Amino acid sequence: MADGYTLTFRSADPSDVDLLGGKGAGLARMTQSGLRVPDGFIISTRACRQFLADGTLPAGLQEEVSERLAELQAQTGKTFGTGPVPLLLSVRSGASVSMPGMMDTILDLGLNRPAALAMAAAASDTRFMADLLVRFHRMYGETVLSALDPGGSLDAMVDAIGLGDDPGPVYDRLWEECQQVIERDVGESVPAGPDEQLTGAVEAVFRSWNSRRARTYRDFHKIPHDLGTAVVVQSMVFGNLSTDSGSGVVFTRNPVTGEQELFGEFLGCSQGEDVVAGIRTPDPISELATTLPEVYEELRSACAELERSHGDVLDIEFTVERATLFFLQMRSAKRTAAAAVRIASDFVREGTISPLKAVGMLTSEQVRQVQRPGFASSDVDAARRAGRLLTTGTGACPGQSSGILVLDADRARELAAGGQPVILARPITSPADLHGMIAAEGIMTATGGTTSHAAVIARALGKACVVGCGDVVINPEVRTLAAGGRCLTEGEEVSLDGTTGEIFLGALAQATAADSNGDLDSLLQVARDAAEAEVFGRVTLPADVDRARRSGVSGLVTAVDDVLAATGHLDAIIAALLEQPEVSPAILGAVEDAVAEGFTPLLAAADEMDTGVRAIDFVADESRELLQETAVITKHPELSVPLGSPPLIEAQIAGLARAAQEAGRAGQVHFTVRHVSDKGEAAALRGLGDRVAQRLGRVVQLGAYLTSPRGVFNYESVARSSDVVWIEVRVLQAATFGIPARLLLDQQPLDDYLRRGLLSVDPRTEVDPSVDRLLASVTALAGSFPACRVGLRLSGTVAETLVARLHALGFRRFAVESHEARPVALALGKAALAARTG
Amino acid sequence: MSMPVLGKSDYRVLNVVTLKKMATTPVLAEATGLSTDQVEAALSALADSGLVLTAAGSAFPGDGADAALAASAAEHYAEVREDAGVIALVDRFEDINSQLLITMSAWQQVDVGGHKVANDHTDAGYDDKIITRIDRLVQRLGPLLAALTAFDQHFAGYRERFDAALAGIDEGRHELVSSPTQDSVHTVWFEFHEDLLRTMGRERKE
Repeated sequence: MADGYTLTFRSADPSDVDLLGGKGAGLARMTQSGLRVPDGFIISTRACRQFLADGTLPAGLQEEVSERLAELQAQTGKTFGTGPVPLLLSVRSGASVSMPGMMDTILDLGLNRPAALAMAAAASDTRFMADLLVRFHRMYGETVLSALDPGGSLDAMVDAIGLGDDPGPVYDRLWEECQQVIERDVGESVPAGPDEQLTGAVEAVFRSWNSRRARTYRDFHKIPHDLGTAVVVQSMVFGNLSTDSGSGVVFTRNPVTGEQELFGEFLGCSQGEDVVAGIRTPDPISELATTLPEVYEELRSACAELERSHGDVLDIEFTVERATLFFLQMRSAKRTAAAAVRIASDFVREGTISPLKAVGMLTSEQVRQVQRPGFASSDVDAARRAGRLLTTGTGACPGQSSGILVLDADRARELAAGGQPVILARPITSPADLHGMIAAEGIMTATGGTTSHAAVIARALGKACVVGCGDVVINPEVRTLAAGGRCLTEGEEVSLDGTTGEIFLGALAQATAADSNGDLDSLLQVARDAAEAEVFGRVTLPADVDRARRSGVSGLVTAVDDVLAATGHLDAIIAALLEQPEVSPAILGAVEDAVAEGFTPLLAAADEMDTGVRAIDFVADESRELLQETAVITKHPELSVPLGSPPLIEAQIAGLARAAQEAGRAGQVHFTVRHVSDKGEAAALRGLGDRVAQRLGRVVQLGAYLTSPRGVFNYESVARSSDVVWIEVRVLQAATFGIPARLLLDQQPLDDYLRRGLLSVDPRTEVDPSVDRLLASVTALAGSFPACRVGLRLSGTVAETLVARLHALGFRRFAVESHEARPVALALGKAALAARTG
Repeated sequence: MSMPVLGKSDYRVLNVVTLKKMATTPVLAEATGLSTDQVEAALSALADSGLVLTAAGSAFPGDGADAALAASAAEHYAEVREDAGVIALVDRFEDINSQLLITMSAWQQVDVGGHKVANDHTDAGYDDKIITRIDRLVQRLGPLLAALTAFDQHFAGYRERFDAALAGIDEGRHELVSSPTQDSVHTVWFEFHEDLLRTMGRERKE
């Protein structure tokens, strides 16, 4: 059978995913690694390809399958189609790439009258037999015969059957009923013979390869149509045959907290479905240590071993059949962001993986989640003590927000548009409330559960949401909300916790979780050491500096326009520019003073950290309104080019020099001008810096923010006259695409545009080939100008893919929003890891 | 004061304006299956009676819109409300609806040790299963949609919108599962649910 169509879990080569499909290869690997997996075999993709070509099952396949079944019977001690212990099968599709539209699993295949009666006897439970029968018909009907779910009438019949009913008549009645339901629906019925059932299932798997949904998916993802799918045929084990049987799910560690303990559930004398369906309440996995100590010990040591060999926390489904442990399924465990950090950190401590590998286990998104601000726990405690807990509903979407209570969607939108954070409370939600939900910071509904429309929408929007606040009575007419003996009026402040479901009176202060996360900090330090990169964080106010420092930045960047706006100096300067026909000495003096005054506290707070300050940019895409761009530029057209008004640049440099002096700081300060693209500009800037140095006796380092392809193309000549060069990746990419740079900060319209196939590169997450070449030419030269430091400015939420490419290009200096400093540090560490493992 | 009963096309237009809270003529034409001229005519009649307000090219529901729709639905759909076949299907809808909502929730959050965690959509096998289930549940609305369409053609529009959303999902546009700002399966379903309640004169339970 060397060139046959079938392979067993024990003998197949697990690396041949193309032939075995993903599921088959996984089962072969598990079996061969010594895990007790229920035995089975794989009908390879070769058989499927043959089937697709000929329209019938390939000659010889039936015989091969019969031989495999005979082997399986010998291995399991069970018989296909009869007792004393019948062999039942699960049949699944398994292509090398998972895709929608492929056939679902069919369980309990192989039931006929003798097999069913034997099952009833083995489990001493006629209702169990009835359940198997209905389950099998339903799955076979749906997946092979395309019937609609036979529905409640069959369930009702099963419910009416007693454990001890005579199985023979029950079988006859149920089989007939199941067949009729399906036949009425599709005009076909489930084959009575186990062999025919198997053949039907195999053909259905092969046919599902060409289902409409699978074809659409392959067309869209450019997956060839001729790969074919494999079929996995596996013997079933039963956890309800005796008191020393059962089924369960175990996580090798606690997936919520990350704690090192087996975590999960076990239900004695049950099938896995019973646990899922919540028919009976399972016991914690630790109970197994008392009820079946040997099984528990085997499970515990297998979990430890698997975790070590996979270097990851796993989620394992298992069944115990007459005291024998079988592993059914195993996958990387889903976990909370907090657990992910703790697990990665513990793995290092335990020596399971290297520190850098642990960095690779995390994602930037998890880092963002862990550092996401939440209510300060001291404030929550105080609120509780003060009796400010109004009511507790069910948390439907995590998040903590405070805002003013609003009871109507229209008013929520109006108030939110005015800049007020709003908590929208509704008795129920209808589609007409959507705009209010979008505008609100948090949503609460008096009725509904975690699967109400409101909860679904809140989660899609990522809004903190509490539902089912049973004692809340909302009166929209008089705009009041009553709960817990209190009555609130619209407009009062409330706070809502979408995890605990608690609603508090009044606002609660926000604290950042990551401020005290030692595990995360030490992993990020590993990432930083490996990446050998500097990350600068953007700040505006002195208070931002400390937060940036705690997130591990090695330097700071800021901008004159932002700082002047935040310190209240900007409006007067803009007003003066709009009033006066030229940039007068009075304006220049005011700018110099404002910069000196505005930057002194910031630079003092920055202390030893290298700080970059960008000149006012009157044509900045992102601050057009703040700077009244159109009006100012109409009056002073020269301000639309980088060094159009040399005195205005000089005034800013002078102000900065004075601030640095005043702050008595230790670190470097560098001043940069945006949109520079020519050596002439760089040289002129240098001249201005020299004049300031002569006048004030304080040297400020100078440089450029390159935003255009021309600027980057001229990097060499600009760098010769500069101490620092920042390349602004978002603006540069936008310039090469010829689209406004602000589009790169939003989902739309680019999401739709990419989807329609009108762009082959997403400039938000990938480096365009044209930009890639420009940037490569910069790093190729960087070594020739050690005196000029070059870095990349990245805006908004930074994609890991982008960081990976930029690191690979050789850049080691980045400036980001301060709250992105940790996620970017992690991404850089992962890039370094990828470079090492190549 | 008794509510005036709206004509069929006025009802359809006002119904969609109320469901969407704000709608332009092209959107209304698409959702009602009426021509833009018919929509314009209906809007102007509705605006005259104050049931619709128009601003910046969009229509918004006026104060009496809900009451007018309820009164008109009672008249238009009196026959539907008595139809045993429809009633049986509507009763089954409640069950399908809660299954759909459970499935939508499973799409958004996965269970991690009894703790809900946002689905990061890295497990394609899991996502595919959910999509298959959603596809099935939408197919299960077929008989109800067909029965309602026999009484009122506008229900056929839901079928088309569901099909468009499902086709998009198969192309990898996963936001068409539950995004409230797009014509996702959940958006269409939610609007259909609201429409169904109004048609049958029932109250929303959550």
